[in-house]
Amino acid sequence: MGELLRANTLTHLRFFRRSRLLLAFGLVFLLVASLSSLPAVFANSRVASFDSLKDIFLTFNEFLIFFGAALGLLVMSSHLSNRSLKMVFTKPCPPPLWLGSAFLASALVLLLLTGFVLLCAMALSFLWHIPVRAGLVFISLDTFLAAAGMAAYFIFLAAIVHPAIAVAFALVFNASLFYWLRMYMHGALQAEGKSIILKCLEQLFHFLYLMAPMTRAFESRTGSIYSSFRVPAHHWLYILYSFGYTLALCALFYFLALFFLQRKRFT
Amino acid sequence: MITAENVHMNFRRGMVGAKIRALDGMSLQVREGDFFALVGQNGAGKSTAMYCFLGLLKPTSGKIEVMGRAPELGSSLYSTVSYLPEEPHYHLYLTVEEATRYYASLYGERPPRKAIDDILERLGLGPFKKLSLAKCSKGMKQKVGIAQCLIRETRLLFLDEPTRGLDPIIVREFREILRDLHKRGATIVMNSHVLSEIEMLANRVAILEKGKVIAQDDLHNLMTLDQDLYAVAVEADGSVPDYLTVTERQGNTVRGRIPKAQLYDFMDYARQKGLRVLECSLQRASLEDSFVRILKGDAPGEKKEV
Repeated sequence: MGELLRANTLTHLRFFRRSRLLLAFGLVFLLVASLSSLPAVFANSRVASFDSLKDIFLTFNEFLIFFGAALGLLVMSSHLSNRSLKMVFTKPCPPPLWLGSAFLASALVLLLLTGFVLLCAMALSFLWHIPVRAGLVFISLDTFLAAAGMAAYFIFLAAIVHPAIAVAFALVFNASLFYWLRMYMHGALQAEGKSIILKCLEQLFHFLYLMAPMTRAFESRTGSIYSSFRVPAHHWLYILYSFGYTLALCALFYFLALFFLQRKRFT
Repeated sequence: MITAENVHMNFRRGMVGAKIRALDGMSLQVREGDFFALVGQNGAGKSTAMYCFLGLLKPTSGKIEVMGRAPELGSSLYSTVSYLPEEPHYHLYLTVEEATRYYASLYGERPPRKAIDDILERLGLGPFKKLSLAKCSKGMKQKVGIAQCLIRETRLLFLDEPTRGLDPIIVREFREILRDLHKRGATIVMNSHVLSEIEMLANRVAILEKGKVIAQDDLHNLMTLDQDLYAVAVEADGSVPDYLTVTERQGNTVRGRIPKAQLYDFMDYARQKGLRVLECSLQRASLEDSFVRILKGDAPGEKKEV
């Protein structure tokens, strides 16, 4: 079991390292982010430097969430499309283990990249003589959890549909859409009075809103940290909550992905 | 070792496409120690049958047991099973060495470096072990597939068109390896279009047609379906007996075939007419002949569902 997990995780990590799509995605983002951050480098006051650091750090953290989605999407869709999984499942390596290693490898890559972005932000803080604030660590942890959740969501989506459809689905059917639809139904209910159909639809959209994965589930409570990089002591608890949310999300998408994976034809 | 009873496998092409009956009541039995060959025309259901044995496809109905258990994806059943796929659907981002190591690790133990080096050298992959599989030729990929099959002692080996794309030297060596494995007690199930290869290796054969096993027997029995012939060449000026099927006439030399049962009649005829017999040799039926005859339904007692 240990050897199987090790072998599969290492192989996934090799896949990530050698994936040209991921490399291209990373390079394009790096180029765009670097060009947009260039003016900030020439800031000449500590306030301006702090704003620059904030912009750069938050941009890269946003990128990590997209990167998490790309990792999940590619690790599943690539193995399904080149049909190499039949080489795995005709050996004593069951699908739950292979899938678990895909989750683990994605999380490891994200952890590494989040750590790297955090270190870069700290280095910039030293360079620009800005005090290193706890918010950097908080945001990094929050980003890592959000990106891991996205990776899990896209692993699941790629297990059931073509990657292009998965991306389109995730872009359209997200928590914001369901929230908006729910509010729309709520407004309609208040205007129309009692309508069973509207009531059912409101409940349905509420359920879908709760089920749709959110990148930052506690954003409304932790928003101030993202602007000031200061973390009130009791706010650290939200990292724990985020961890719980991500864990639940990963578990849900793991079992859903496994369900569909085991029903696939590996021929 | 493997039992398939009345296995049906239906596919649907797309969501609403036509239904395809890949296996239609297939029944067969592979005994322990058999070198079992599945033959049939394209689309007969050979690969589907193999996928069902491997648990990659779940039959629509019927029962399949491999070593007494129903095959499930990635189950412990596979700890003594190896599989060589027809198409090189490998992890193309890995190098030759990494892929061999990875596939060997999937049995739950880290393979010794020496074992991997040895098998790669044996198959002529030594100089290419750092080469990415994506850059390998089809033959080289096939060799990687063979390497991952041979890296461990195996009890049951599934081979889907194993020698496709391989150079003749490796084909020969691979045959020797298979013979050796078979001698050491491994059960081998092979699916191939190369009937001459099956003749050389297999001891039992099943012929599939339209998802059904239409003949299943020892190779020897299938090849001697009362159709042994004698190839003869005689110097004859005029007529030849009816049972001599003429294949060639050159001057007054007639070449042809006579059924084994009519050999003595032919000798009497030649003696009476004073014909000079230039050649008379037993021409045993090849598996190809039997295969064609069974499929056409002219083999005595054949073309029956098993």
